[in-house]
Amino acid sequence: MAGERMNALTLNRRGGRARNSPDAGGAAPEAESRRERVQVLLARIIAGLALLVIWQVCAVTFAPSYIARPIGILAQIPSVVGSEQFLSATGSTLLAVIEGLAIAIVLGTAAGLVMGRLRDIDRALRLYVDSFYAMPIVALVPLLTVWFGYSPTARLVVVVMEAVLPVAFSVAEGGRTLATEFTDVARAYRAPWWRVWLGIALPASMPYLLSGVDLAIGRALVGAVVAEFIASLNGLGYFILFNVRSFHEDAAMVALIVLVVFALVLRGLVTLTVRRALPWYRAR
Amino acid sequence: MTQALQAPAADRSGFRRLVPRGRWRAALGYAAGLVAGAVVWQVVGLNSASFVFVPLTSTMSSLGGLISDGSLPSALASSFSVYAVGEVAAIVTGALVGLLFARQMILRRAFEPYLVALYATPMVALIPFLLALIGYGFWPKVVVVSLFAFFPVEFSTQRGAQSIAPELLDVARAFRTSERGIWRHVVVPYTLPYLMTGVRQALARGLVGMIAGEFFLSAGGLGSLLITQSEQFDTGAMLAVTFVITLTGVLLMAAGRLVERRFARWRVSA
Repeated sequence: MAGERMNALTLNRRGGRARNSPDAGGAAPEAESRRERVQVLLARIIAGLALLVIWQVCAVTFAPSYIARPIGILAQIPSVVGSEQFLSATGSTLLAVIEGLAIAIVLGTAAGLVMGRLRDIDRALRLYVDSFYAMPIVALVPLLTVWFGYSPTARLVVVVMEAVLPVAFSVAEGGRTLATEFTDVARAYRAPWWRVWLGIALPASMPYLLSGVDLAIGRALVGAVVAEFIASLNGLGYFILFNVRSFHEDAAMVALIVLVVFALVLRGLVTLTVRRALPWYRAR
Repeated sequence: MTQALQAPAADRSGFRRLVPRGRWRAALGYAAGLVAGAVVWQVVGLNSASFVFVPLTSTMSSLGGLISDGSLPSALASSFSVYAVGEVAAIVTGALVGLLFARQMILRRAFEPYLVALYATPMVALIPFLLALIGYGFWPKVVVVSLFAFFPVEFSTQRGAQSIAPELLDVARAFRTSERGIWRHVVVPYTLPYLMTGVRQALARGLVGMIAGEFFLSAGGLGSLLITQSEQFDTGAMLAVTFVITLTGVLLMAAGRLVERRFARWRVSA
């Protein structure tokens, strides 16, 4: 994983920095003039407009009138955003995702540290973490609705399960690859075990934790939406399903946009945290 | 992983070692985890209502029933034909788009923000729209799997092709290699390991797409089998199907990692 990250720093052909990790987003190479930056911005605006025009034209000519189209979505935004139903759906989903992520970060960090530092526990648990990480957690949603009913609790559990695995997995990797010089020095100074854990292993795992959280965000949203679909829970996922089924696709698209923006904002926060709080971690 | 091959770290766990070291200890750890899991499953199953959780043994007999009455094999066949077609489509288009974007700076810069936004989109939320647009059946599910699997492939390919060391291209040019030769001997071999990383991620994401697609877009496949069973509160059968899904997930991941490692051998580390 760290190896993949490192490649983001390799020089590209044009001599600039190849800032091409998915989250580098709009970042343009550093050694770039203002004029070039304006050109890039222009190209982006033109490309975006072109996509919207193609969508609009295709939808108008080929698709039935209930299919979403850009102008319709734009026209819908004020009434949708103002509606009580939309606001409560947004609040419900976003809070569930944030709550689930918070729980997953705490649980995943604890589990990951234990697994990364205690090899026997790692071996006993590895099979389960690996298998649950490899399987699609959404497959558990029907079972979880049986256990927790068609309730927000079921959604929260799905979100936590989706998010906890990448976090635990990454933190365990961080704990495993902790440089032995640190632990050697700690032992030389007879540091108690809890200081090694909290003072060395935990901070050293922070970059791993954040890269796990980065993965967890997308998974958590998928889990929340699927749970809402299946359990018909108040939330953006169900808002989309309901509106598409009642031929209000434009309104449903607004909800989809909110989901995407939310995902981007959360991932942006992770990137920002890495830059601000972990300047010593230079792999990004 | 290659735990046994790692240098034995000095007393990492902080307590005295009473059990044998090395390979045996590792095997003991894995076995203990496996046995503990099975025991917990059995005991919890025996002590809970049958619609909540069933013991391991009843799950296995449910699994036997599902196999012998033909519902599981037919669901597997239906699921994995969708999965295979969707994955192949995603890998081919992802690799092509990735290469194109990596080599055409204007395109890349113009479309990058939109690709990033699409990558961040929870694809399951598109399923209702797809249902309205193209309906139920085989191909809509293929589209869902491809949507899930496309972006990791595209991003890794693009990242790989973009990070080709300029020296390699310069040398190739200095020897007057043709454009075709540059692609054949530099761009494609350099990019393949990255593509394979994307393929591994795509295999996992595609599986999510497959199950989610089947929840909503079909009467067939593992996903809809799970939904039917949950409506009948047949927890044993649900656990059995979940077990099979987990097993296929693990196998696919192992295969993905194998392929990735096979190609990583010539990956130039940065």
